[in-house]
Amino acid sequence: MSNSVISVISRFLEEYTTKTSNKLKVVDAYLFYILLTGALQFLYCLLVGTFPFNSFLAGFISCVGAFILGVCLRIQINPDNKGDFLSISQERAFADFLLAHTVLHLVVINFIG
Amino acid sequence: MHVSPQVCSALTPSHHLSLSDVERLKGLLSQPFTDLASAYYSIVGLSKLGAAVADENDACQFLKAQLDPMSVDSLFFAAEASQAIADCEVSISNETRDILLAAVSEDSTVTQIFRAVSALSSLGLPLASQEVVAALVARIAKEDNVLAITTALQTATRLSQQAELGGILEEIEDLAARLDDLGGVYLQFEEGLEATALFVTAAYTLSDHADTEPPLKEDQVIQLVNSVFSKKSWDSRSEAFSVACAAAALSSNRFHVPVIVSTQGPATVSHSQPILHLLVTDILSNPLASANLLVESAQAVASKSVVLSQAPFSLRDGIFELNFMASQPASGYYQFTVAVTGDSRLVANQVELKVKVSTEVAVTNMDLSVVDKDQSIGTKTSRVDYPFKAKGSFTADSHQNFAMNFQLVDANTGVELTPHQTFVRFHNQKTGQEVVFVAEPDSKNLYKFELDTAERKSEFDSMSGTYVLHLIVGDATLENPILWNVADVVLKFLDEEAPAAIQSKTLYMPKPDIQHLFREPEKKPPTVVSNTFTALVLSPFLLLLILWFKLGANISNFSLSPSSVLFHVGHACMLGLMYVYWTHLNMFQTLKYLAIIGSLTFLAGNRMLAQKAVKRYGQSSTLTFFTRRTCEN
Repeated sequence: MSNSVISVISRFLEEYTTKTSNKLKVVDAYLFYILLTGALQFLYCLLVGTFPFNSFLAGFISCVGAFILGVCLRIQINPDNKGDFLSISQERAFADFLLAHTVLHLVVINFIG
Repeated sequence: MHVSPQVCSALTPSHHLSLSDVERLKGLLSQPFTDLASAYYSIVGLSKLGAAVADENDACQFLKAQLDPMSVDSLFFAAEASQAIADCEVSISNETRDILLAAVSEDSTVTQIFRAVSALSSLGLPLASQEVVAALVARIAKEDNVLAITTALQTATRLSQQAELGGILEEIEDLAARLDDLGGVYLQFEEGLEATALFVTAAYTLSDHADTEPPLKEDQVIQLVNSVFSKKSWDSRSEAFSVACAAAALSSNRFHVPVIVSTQGPATVSHSQPILHLLVTDILSNPLASANLLVESAQAVASKSVVLSQAPFSLRDGIFELNFMASQPASGYYQFTVAVTGDSRLVANQVELKVKVSTEVAVTNMDLSVVDKDQSIGTKTSRVDYPFKAKGSFTADSHQNFAMNFQLVDANTGVELTPHQTFVRFHNQKTGQEVVFVAEPDSKNLYKFELDTAERKSEFDSMSGTYVLHLIVGDATLENPILWNVADVVLKFLDEEAPAAIQSKTLYMPKPDIQHLFREPEKKPPTVVSNTFTALVLSPFLLLLILWFKLGANISNFSLSPSSVLFHVGHACMLGLMYVYWTHLNMFQTLKYLAIIGSLTFLAGNRMLAQKAVKRYGQSSTLTFFTRRTCEN
């Protein structure tokens, strides 16, 4: 059983490193970074406590929001998905990404206290 | 010829002039006068009250000296005042008559007409009543205020009875409609007390003169009485004069005479004072000549049983008396309804009074005993007689109850009583403690009090010792309240604490200060932990940079076009603004700056991205791009 899991994982990794374009890998690295940051914040909350709660929420939501927006950007600039996003060029996706982030940052900073 | 039916009005006068009020009124009017007007008010006012000025001759001389025969007002004051003084004649001439007659016309004010007519009538000069009526009717139409119409009414009283006064009589009803009803108790003109009093005087004087009953209902008459006589100190001589005239009019007119029924002293009867005294007077506190007083019913307030019905009062020295104790009423309060008869003019002649019957109480069959709780030992009962104290003291410890039984009876009739206050008081002489209990009667009106020593120890603070026992009996209907030192009681409590300070002393000392406890801030984790985790959270950024470097991400494609530079600068500013927002600004300021920077960044970014897109499309399919453009053309 575990054998097949390991083989699946190794196959996946191999496909990933060869098939995905560099641009997407850059975005993936960014997403991984966001994920780590969020996870570490959550770990702190579990270990030390929720004080101050609003700051924890602001930080965590910021990570979650940024991750989601990053995922949206990745989907939109992936050339394989061009058919689904005919009216949205890559530049437009990036501009949307920036605008959404502005709003997200405004809300997060407001809440961070 | 006028029989007004004895309609009982629910309203009775709440104000009238007592004898001291009348004296005060006379005093105000007797003050020395300085001019003809004040002389007139004083002399005529006092005569209405049945009194006279101090020195009549002096007054007469004053009038003659002050008289100005050219002025209508002066003639009026002097003529009227001199009429009130015996043997005082004011000299007149033909000119006087002409001046006065000239004043009676449509062109003079109502007051002028009134004064001229009154002066003519007082001086015995002839006048044409019909002409006066015509002038008055014309003036009333022009001067439609309360005082003017009242003055017109007064003028009509001086005219001959054959004149046509019907039109003016109707004005009484119209004026009465203008009165303001205050709470159903007072009826007055908004012009004030003087106007109301003058109206009352005019209405009744004219009604007497024309022999027509005034169109005022009994309730209205009482309300007018309340309004006019509620004020007991008057601001001016003219106000006092108007009140005096109103009082005289209401006490001696032919139609409505309000009657006042009052008690002489408190309305209480008892065995020592069995007679109820009532005074029946008019509003000037003069006793009514022909009046009979009758008790229609006397009803006990508590039991609602009628004790007396249709019993007459007997008159002695101007005071009505009734021996109420002869009906042997039980002690308590009684609601009397009395009626005054004998004169068809009487108004508010049915009055309700509350009479108290008081009595003396006696304590009988006082038995004190100490009862054992499990009743194994026989009870020891001793009888104590009022007002003596029990010979020995009674001891009760936690196994025993102290009991008291007694009866309260009416000393005169032997009927059992249940007064409002029956208290049993324990007083510790040494510590000053005082504990009071209530003794309650059972169904047979026997009073019982039982002290369970163990149960009640908290009231006594478990202080054992000798307590002096008092019985307190009191009630509004008792003439002899009782405070009786019955016995000494020694109480023994278990768990006796050390004698604590008396409660009452510490009750009024300053209490300990309360320190305000501010909300304690939540416990923060140690700085080491926070710093460690801050570093930990920021470390993935390092990882990101490494990954990007490994992937080969670079900024080699960075074009130095102005829009590009502006975009990046603007974007950096926006991120910087976020930091500043966190530290210094509020949302409104941030939005303002964000709008400015954001729009710049947007424009620059749009430009930059468009250039990038053109570059990218140009690289991939320039042909497609140009083909599309030519098609659009």
